[in-house]
Amino acid sequence: MRARVLTLCWLLLWSSAGQASELRYSLEATSIAPDTWLVEGETGNFSRDNGGNIVNVAFIATGNGAVVIDTGPSRLYGEALRQLVEATTGEPISHVLLTHHHPDHVFGNQAFDPDTLYMLESGRQALASEGEAFSDNMYRLVGDWMRGTEVVVPANTLEPGPLVVGDHRFRLLEFTGHTGSDLVVFDETTGVLFASDMVFYNRALTTPQSPGVMVWAKELMVLEELPYSLVVPGHGPVVTDDSAFRQMNDYLSWLYQTLSSSASRGLTLAEVMNLPIPNRFQGIAGSRYELIRTTTHLYPRYERAALELLSEE
Amino acid sequence: MGRIVLLFGMLLGGAVQGAVPEDPFNSPMWEYNLDRYLGKGSEVVHDERVKLTVPPFAEDSAQVPLTLDLSGFPSKVEQVITWVDLNPIPHLFTLNPGESSTRLVSLNFRVQQATTVRAAVRDGNDVWHIGSAYLDAAGGGCTAPSLTAANPDWESHFGTIRGGAFSQLPGVRYKFSVMHPMDSGMVGDVPAFHIESVRLTAPGAAQPLLTMTLSQSAAENPMFVFELAQQPDEALLWMRDNNGNVFERRMGGGS
Repeated sequence: MRARVLTLCWLLLWSSAGQASELRYSLEATSIAPDTWLVEGETGNFSRDNGGNIVNVAFIATGNGAVVIDTGPSRLYGEALRQLVEATTGEPISHVLLTHHHPDHVFGNQAFDPDTLYMLESGRQALASEGEAFSDNMYRLVGDWMRGTEVVVPANTLEPGPLVVGDHRFRLLEFTGHTGSDLVVFDETTGVLFASDMVFYNRALTTPQSPGVMVWAKELMVLEELPYSLVVPGHGPVVTDDSAFRQMNDYLSWLYQTLSSSASRGLTLAEVMNLPIPNRFQGIAGSRYELIRTTTHLYPRYERAALELLSEE
Repeated sequence: MGRIVLLFGMLLGGAVQGAVPEDPFNSPMWEYNLDRYLGKGSEVVHDERVKLTVPPFAEDSAQVPLTLDLSGFPSKVEQVITWVDLNPIPHLFTLNPGESSTRLVSLNFRVQQATTVRAAVRDGNDVWHIGSAYLDAAGGGCTAPSLTAANPDWESHFGTIRGGAFSQLPGVRYKFSVMHPMDSGMVGDVPAFHIESVRLTAPGAAQPLLTMTLSQSAAENPMFVFELAQQPDEALLWMRDNNGNVFERRMGGGS
């Protein structure tokens, strides 16, 4: 009996040690514009296979320090990213611009000098209030990849407007469509638009903190007017034309029409989750999964609006 | 055809041996909850025509949607009982349809952990037909404080009822929501406070259109959906919570 227990312990140790040694993000920097690199994530969901690496992170060598946009889903990712940025640019990191408070974008913060972390005020508040709950969920979804990861609320507040670092002039824009506090970074020097999660491309958009799909669609109209040469979405491949915007508009309009017409027909939440998704969205990864989530987040508002107040007699 | 044979086989098996069929989901609570809610020795079969829909995962553990579609059920439904296997109080609701059959019912529930969900439908021969579904969940929905409790002016919205009737000719779908904390009694210093009974009646009719009793698994600010096979001219909604508050409203015809 004792021997069996010992064997079991040994097996457990061996297997966990084996697993631990495998947990390493192999991040690659792809040059997408002068001085500009992209670290592209998968378009899947958080899982123990991908360690939460489902996000696009980017960095720019300005000649006077590297600017990093988002830090990834975990401490381990953040550390790998910092090494990659330093090795690729040969510059110290001067600014880490955090686009919004979702875990896949800010949970690598620990790996960076706290003085270099910047975020919009509304985003800082959102991270402070919701970060711990996100953290619990991330540990559940990606497991050991999260080891040692803690929520770090950035010390510095960003103001929308121009930001000049070295040879690069950035324009910082504040939106609300995705989470209520969404930073978009436009590099006027190169024309690269770091849209973050205001734009998803070939990956279904997510809505847990969205103020509404029409709010989002209206803000995209403003974003689309910028003189960009390249769009870096928060999730999905980069594009040089407006196809990511067209897909977003199409998908958001479809969501709006589906939710409002379902409510006017009196459909239940579970019925809406299982409605057919048009063929033209077949190429969008995770569309059924995200429709289930989006219906949970947003449909109750449409349902209530379709009902009338019943007063006492 | 294969399904019918299978069903027949299960009916026969149940009748001969009095044993319950295997649970395809292997829930540890399968037999226990059957005994508890349907009564020991009840005749039980799995039946796909009891179409129970829950999402594959709970995006919000405090608001998980459930829709039970009985439009494919071939005989009169005598009673419906639903439960969430691994919740602290598994029972969600018991529904007694009236003369006009209830084709669909929907209600959100709380979930405490990943679990199977069951709907049991009793036919005229006292056989229970079971529909099952599995739900993944981070959990904690039963023991998390209600959003209502965190809102200091909840009393001003308490009991607000919105509703509508949607034509599904020749039937009708009634949908109504009520602002109620539906406290489960499992949160420290917050006693159980929830709607226990719901009744829909057609004015002048001897029998109600349906009656429903609810347990603590029901979600906060519940949205009820009932689809009836025949549309009455008018329906009266009556609800009562465990503190004795009674809510009465008039629902119109289908729009």
